[in-house]
Parts: sequence; structure tokens; C-alpha cells
Amino acid sequence: MNSQCFVTSIHKEWDIVAARQMGRELAKKIGFGTVDQARITTAISELARNIYLYASKGQIKFEVIESLEQKGIKVVAEDSGPGIEDLSQVMEDGFSTSGGLGAGLPGVRRLMDEFDIISEIGKGTIINTIKWVR
Amino acid sequence: MNLQIHIEEGNDKSHVHLSGEIDVYTAPKLKDALIPLTSKQGNTIEVNLEQVKYMDSTGLGVFVNALKSSKENGSKLKLINLQDRVLRLFQITGLQEIMDINATIRGVNE
Amino acid sequence: MDTKSLNAQDYIDLVKAYVETQDEKTLYDAEQIAKSFIKNNILPEEIVNLHIQALLEIYPDLKDDIQASMKFLLEAMIMYGLAHQEYQQLREKQLEIKSEILVAARMQQMLLQSDIPKTEALDIGVISVPANQMNGDYHHFVKGKDGSIGIAIADIIGKGIPAALSMSMIKYAMDSFPENLMSTDTILASLNRVVERNVDPSMFITMFYAQYKPNTGKLYYSSAGHEPGFYYNSHSNNFEELEAKGLVLGVNPDTTYMQYELKLEKDDSIILLTDGVTECRREEQFIEREEVLEVIKHYIHLPAQEAVNQVYRHFERLQNFQLRDDFTLVILKKIV
Repeated sequence: MNSQCFVTSIHKEWDIVAARQMGRELAKKIGFGTVDQARITTAISELARNIYLYASKGQIKFEVIESLEQKGIKVVAEDSGPGIEDLSQVMEDGFSTSGGLGAGLPGVRRLMDEFDIISEIGKGTIINTIKWVR
Repeated sequence: MNLQIHIEEGNDKSHVHLSGEIDVYTAPKLKDALIPLTSKQGNTIEVNLEQVKYMDSTGLGVFVNALKSSKENGSKLKLINLQDRVLRLFQITGLQEIMDINATIRGVNE
Repeated sequence: MDTKSLNAQDYIDLVKAYVETQDEKTLYDAEQIAKSFIKNNILPEEIVNLHIQALLEIYPDLKDDIQASMKFLLEAMIMYGLAHQEYQQLREKQLEIKSEILVAARMQQMLLQSDIPKTEALDIGVISVPANQMNGDYHHFVKGKDGSIGIAIADIIGKGIPAALSMSMIKYAMDSFPENLMSTDTILASLNRVVERNVDPSMFITMFYAQYKPNTGKLYYSSAGHEPGFYYNSHSNNFEELEAKGLVLGVNPDTTYMQYELKLEKDDSIILLTDGVTECRREEQFIEREEVLEVIKHYIHLPAQEAVNQVYRHFERLQNFQLRDDFTLVILKKIV
């Protein structure tokens, strides 16, 4: 397995755009189609917005995953914010999209193929996501 | 199916004017408005039901709740100007005997 | 996967056809294909993408700026795709909850089912229909060893599941009472203490408890704030309200109740009901109690079960078959 890594930090709203751009270019390079590029970018956008709104500081990490069988992109969002108290509530459908707040974390989970979240109160949150090239 | 709640708060007296219908949909709103008033010790809460033309048993439940809360917290709950139909509910349920109800009875068609 | 790719090519072909002919038939086909997309959970962004492919096939030298604008549309559709998926999920969840409630409602019915006791003294009819799936009305029959018949009819305020849950409490409390040793007023006083200890402050229960003793031919009854029932005097062909005073259950732990009695003659009837019967509404108009009586009067000569069924049918029709409240009606007719 061979991997490349890129990191961009988020603390202004403008950084969200930069993260989107970086993710989209990487996704294109790896060989994702137009629709998946847009989905990955939207997921990155949501992750970055969460950091900007709730943690004020954090970073988005991109990694190209390449093995013999498959190729993909790993997007990791890390922040040192307040952490999430009730994960199952945050992952529940029905609040964010209809309220116009955005896709929320359930949306990110739908946009990507793999999703994992670890959060500790007072320490921060790490979200790992992967999308595979179909 | 709508209920307007208007509250005037004085020093140790609150006037609550209700208008509309008190049913399963509007009862929670009334409860949220009424219970905090009854939890203030020494407060007298006068609820004017002149403009309430319909109330169901859920609405009665809110007043039972408010009565219990006022007893616990040393406040006074008073209902005034009930229409016949609403007053009848308090009569049937026996609540009229244990609540301070001053019904200057008005007709439904008023 | 196969149908998906098949549909994809169909879509492209249809766009091509429409650009050439611009006829209604092709638009109708578009409607059909959209239905199959929805059925297969194809998201809007994928359709936009298909459309871009179609455009590129029809116009191989499609201008870059048009392509860019289509990509812009695709990007905007991603959120709609997510909202659509979420909606689907919520719909499934709703179905799940619905079927769960159905199971609970069936269980409730089984737990609380109270068969009409066999007795030579009375002809008894009962109907109880919930407005929603769970019934907040309750009725219960007990037959004592001395042939006495106890009837409880109750209305739990509030609707749905919380009401249904407190009903089980009532049933088990009543089952624990020593059989027919108790008078109707002591039954209500004991129930009141149980309810007062166990319910939310904004909840209460109204109950009418009646006992018929064949050896005296008398009906004994007490009311805890329940909608008054009626006494039908067959001799004078008149209805009278069964007046009984008493506070609802669950408000004050020290409440006491009164027991009333009434001598029944052959063919006299007792009508017990919940306020779902008297609170029937026609459009925005209420039905007065006198009107309810009129309807009951019309059917009172029928056997008890048939009479309650007919009365129910009348009010069901009146409310356009949409009950606003749980409806329970009991008729007792003295036959010997």
C-alpha cells in the first residue's frame, strides 16, 4: 500500500473553499467521475464547516489510498473543539437538511463509503471517511 | 384550532387572558405559560377564559397541573369568566368544588 | 445494476429523440423513465450527469461554458439528493413505528379485553372504538359469585400511548381488589389513591362505576368526575341523567365518593358513555347532549348490542367516519 498525504487547516470561512478545492483536485486525479467528485467535495465542505462553526479550529487531511484491488480517497477531519456529547443524536436523520442547515454528519456518511467518528468531551473530534473509486 | 395567550404580570398578581380553543394541540403551549407563573410563591394567577369557546379534557389536565403546582408553591390560581360549555367540564369532573372558579357565565353565542 | 445502465442509455436516447421531434410522446416517455429512476433510487445529481452525457453525444462540440453551467447544476443537486435520501429513510422509519404501534395496540386490546358476562338479569351491549390506534377509553365487567355485575367505564385524559399505559395500571389495580366485597364508592376511593400516586400531574382519569345486584334489583353507582350516564324509564318512556358527584381520579389523594342507588324495573335501561360520544363534532358545530339522547332513544328498543352498534354508526357517519375522540358506549337493559 502506498499513500500520499495533504493537510489544510480550517479557521476562517475562506479555508472551507480552499479545502474543497484541494479535495476536488485530488479526487479528480485519483480518477473519480464528475458526480463522485461533487459528492466528495460536498462532504469535505460539511466537515470543514462543522470545524469552522463549532470548533473554530482544526484541520482536514487528505490521503490517497491505493492497493492492488482498489483506489480511494480518505478524508479526515480533526478538531480540538468541545467534542460531541450525544453522538447518536448528531447522527440522527431529520434535523439538518430539512431545517436548511446543510447535510450534517448523516449527509457526510451518505456521501462517502466509509465513516467513523470519535469524539471526546473537552478534547475534540476526529472523523474518518473514505470513498472508493467505483 | 388556535390559542392566544396574553400575560400581564404585576408584583404579586398575574393576569392571563386566553382566547381560542384549548385542546390536545394547544394545551402544551398553555402549560408552558401557566406553570412558571404558579411556581412563584405568593403569586395570584387570574386566568380569564371569557374568549375560550372550546376546551377538551387535555385542557382540564393543564389546569389540574397548575392547581397542583400552585398548592406546592404557595401561589393562588383563579379562573374567571368561563363560558357555559367550559364551565360544564369543571362541574362534571368535580374540579369546580376544589378550584377557585368565578364564572360570570356567558352564553356560547355571545 | 443492469436495469440502471439500461435506463441510462434510454434516457440519452430519449433526449436525442426529443431534440429532433419535440413531440408529446417523448415527454410522456420521460415521465415513465423518471418513475423508474425514482423506484431505483437514482439521485438527482446522477440524472444531471446523464443529461451532460446526452448533450455530449448529441453535440460533440458542446461549448465549454455550457458544460460548465451543467456542472454547476450538478453541484447544486447534491444537496437535493441528500434531502431525498433522508426523506426515504424517515419514511421507512415511520412505517416501522407505525407497525410497532399496531403491535402495541393489539397487545393492549388483548390485555384489556373484558368480555360481557353471561347473566340472565341483564342484556348488555358495549362498543368501544379508538380515534387513533390506541384506545384511551376503558371498560371492564366483573361478575360476582352472588350474580352481581360490576361495570366500570373510564376515560383517561390525554390520547394515545400514555393514556393506554395508565389504563393497564387501572386494570391491574382493579383485578387486585377483593371480589364484590367492595361498594362502588370504596372502589373509586381505592383507585383514586393508586392513580394519584402514579400519574403525571397533568393527567387524570374519569370513571363511572356501577354494580347491579339481581337479588335487590337495584343499581348502585358512583362517579369520579365522569360524563353522566342516562337512566331510561321504560314505563314513562323518559330519559333521566344519572346524576352523581365526585372528583376525577388522580387529583387529590383523600377524595371520598358517594354511592347512589336506583331501582330498576323490567325493560329499564342504563346508558353509560365517554365524552367521545357527547363531544362528537359536526364540522365546527358541537352536538348537544339532547341530540345524543335523541339518537339513543331511537334505538333503545333494540337488543343492547345492536343498539350500541347503531348509535355508533350514526355518529360515525355524522363525523364523516373520522372519530375525533375515543368512543365508548355501554347499554344495560334489565330483562327480567
